[in-house]
Amino acid sequence: MRRRGAAASALALVALACLPASAGANGGSGTSILRRPPIIRTTRFELQGSNGYSILIASGSRQHVMVKTTSEGEELVTEYVTRDLLAAPDRVRAKLPGLIAISVRFYPRGPLRHPSPPGCKGRRPAVQHGVVRGTIRFIGERGYTRVEAHEANAEIEEATSWRCSAAAAQPEPPPPTHETWTSKFSAQREGVYLLVRKYPPGAIEGGEVLYSADAGEIVSMQPKLFIYRHATIAAPASTFADAHPERLAVSPPAPFAGTGRLSRTPESVFTWEGDLTVQFPGIDPVPLAGPGFGSDYCIREVGCIQQSFDSHS
Amino acid sequence: MGRRRLGIGLAIVVILVAAAGTAQAQAKLRRGGKFEVQPAYASGVVRLGKREGYRGYLFMATNGVAILELVRIDRRGEKGTVSLALYAVHTRGSVDETVRARFGSLGSFSLRFRPNGDVQDEGVRSGCEGPSTVTEHGWFDGHVTFHGEHHYLDFTLPGGTGQLERSFPLVCEKGKAFHLPTHRLQPYVVLSSFFPTDGNIALLYASARRHGRFTGIVAGHRNGAPPGAELRFESFESRGAMAIGRYALAETPQGALLTSLPGQHPATATLAPPAPFYGEARYRETSAHAGAWSGNLGIDLAGLRLPLTGPGFHARLCVLSPLGHRKGCDFFKAEPEYDERPARPWWMAR
Repeated sequence: MRRRGAAASALALVALACLPASAGANGGSGTSILRRPPIIRTTRFELQGSNGYSILIASGSRQHVMVKTTSEGEELVTEYVTRDLLAAPDRVRAKLPGLIAISVRFYPRGPLRHPSPPGCKGRRPAVQHGVVRGTIRFIGERGYTRVEAHEANAEIEEATSWRCSAAAAQPEPPPPTHETWTSKFSAQREGVYLLVRKYPPGAIEGGEVLYSADAGEIVSMQPKLFIYRHATIAAPASTFADAHPERLAVSPPAPFAGTGRLSRTPESVFTWEGDLTVQFPGIDPVPLAGPGFGSDYCIREVGCIQQSFDSHS
Repeated sequence: MGRRRLGIGLAIVVILVAAAGTAQAQAKLRRGGKFEVQPAYASGVVRLGKREGYRGYLFMATNGVAILELVRIDRRGEKGTVSLALYAVHTRGSVDETVRARFGSLGSFSLRFRPNGDVQDEGVRSGCEGPSTVTEHGWFDGHVTFHGEHHYLDFTLPGGTGQLERSFPLVCEKGKAFHLPTHRLQPYVVLSSFFPTDGNIALLYASARRHGRFTGIVAGHRNGAPPGAELRFESFESRGAMAIGRYALAETPQGALLTSLPGQHPATATLAPPAPFYGEARYRETSAHAGAWSGNLGIDLAGLRLPLTGPGFHARLCVLSPLGHRKGCDFFKAEPEYDERPARPWWMAR
C-alpha cells in the first residue's frame, strides 16, 4: 500500500506540473519564438502530521504549491493547491492564513543522482537530495491534522523525457480495473462524484465492493486555493444490494454513512435518493444522493440504467 | 425542446426536395452492373411565409401533385410542440409554366415561376451519370388562397419566393434512380417513420381507423431522459380529391405519462398530456397482447378536434428495464399486426 501511495504521489506531481501557470509567468512577449519546452522541476518534502496523517508538500515549475494529506490507512486523501509566491528554483513560498504557511529554501546534500527504476526508458531524471529550512506550517480544517517544522528532508527532481512502463514499475498485482467489475454504479453532480464497483469474490482486498468518492472545490481565486478530496474503501457485498434489476441500495462503511437508493418511478425516471454522505477530513459530511444527482448503473454484458444530470430539477 | 425535434417539420420540406436529391460530387457508375434511367423532372417549392403561427410551404412535383405544408412550433420553456399539416392535391399544368390546383373547399392556387437569374449547380445524384441538376431561384407569381378547416388559418397571397429544381435524364445504377411515387395522393402525406421504433423503456401506443381516417398516438419515455414523455400524434385521411396528413410532436412536462413498472400485472398506464391535447386516457392490460383503452383524451389540431379514445382504438403498452433491453420497446417491428399504418413512405430509401 505504501508503494501505491508513492505512485499516487508521483501522479499528483505530474498533474501539478501540468497545471497552467499564472498569466504573469508568460512574460507578455508578443514574439512567437519556438523554444524548448521548459524543464519540469519539482521540489518535494514529506512530513508526519498529527492524527496519523502524512503530509507531502510539492512545488512545481508552474508556480503552484500542493499540500497533500493522506490518512494512515490511505482511505482519505486531501490535496490543497495554491500559488507559489516565489517560484524560484530553490525556494518555496505559499501563504493561506489559518491553513498554509510555507517559506523554505532548499540546501543540497550529496551528489546529483540519476535514478533508473526498472521498466523506464529515455534520458533519466536528475534528483538532488537535500533539506529545506525555514517555516513549514499546515493546519487542516478544524485541526484534523497539523504540522509545524523548520527543517525537512527534501529533493528536487528535474523530469526529462523518460517513459516508464506501468506494469514494470508496479511490482504488486495491479489494482482491479474496469475490466474486472461485475456491476458498477456512479452518481455525480457538480463537484461531487461517487463510484461503486462490485467485483467477483477474491478480486480485491477487504470485500467485493470498492467505494470511492471525489469532491473538488475552488475555495477562492484570490488567493488561489483549490481543494480536491478523495475517499476510498472496500466493503462486503452486503453493502451493495442490487438483487432487483431496477432497484439498488448502497450502505458503505465509514468514512461513508447512510444509504443511497436507486429506484424507478412511474414516469420511468430513475431517482437516486437517500441520506448517503461521505465524511472528508475537517468538513461537514458531503451528501452523495438526492435531487440534482445524475446516476449510471451498469451490469456487465447486460446493460446500463442512465439518468441525466439535471433530471430531478 | 431540442432544435433537432423542433426542426422536424421544416425537415419534411427538405426531405421532399432531397428525395429528388443530388450528390455534390460527380458520381462514377460501377461498370458491369445493371442500370436504369431516371427520367427528367422538375419540382418547385414556394415559401408562403408565417401566418397565425403557421409557416407555409407549397411543393409542386412534375407528376402533377402539389403538397401544401403548414408547420407550427409552440414553445413552453424547454418543452414545446411541433404541429404539421399536409394537404396533397392533383394539379393542372406544369411547373415550367403555370400550375393550378384546388384544395377542395379549403382553397386553391395558380402560380407561374419568374426566375431572378440566381442559378445553382447541384451536381449529379449519387450512383448516376448525366447532366447536373440545376436549381433556379425566383418568384412564383399568381395567387394562393387557403381557408383552413373552421378557419384555423386564412390567407390569400400573390405568390411567394421559391425555387425550381430541374433534373435531366440520368443513367443510374439499378436502385439508385429516383422515381416519383405513385399518382395516388395518400403516400404524399404519410410519414411512416414518424413513430419511434426503439430506445424507449416505456411506450404507449393507441390507434384507430374509422371512417377512412387513420389516427394514432404514441407516448414514450427514453432511458435516461428527464421527467416527462415524448408524444407523437398522426392522422391521415382522404377527403374528396385531397389527402390530408396531420402530425404533432410534443415533449410533455412531468406526469404526462405514468405506467406500472416492469413485471407488474396487469400493466397500467395513464396519459394526460397538455395542449393541444385535452383530457386523459387510461390503459389496463387485459391479456398478454391486449388492453383496455378508456378515457376522454383528444387533440385540438389545425381546425380539427379528434377523440383519441373510444370504439375502434387498439392500444398497446410496453414497459421494459433498460438492463437486458438495450434497444428498448420495439413492438412496431415485433408485432406488425398492431401497426395499422401504411407500409413505407414514398421518399424512404429503396
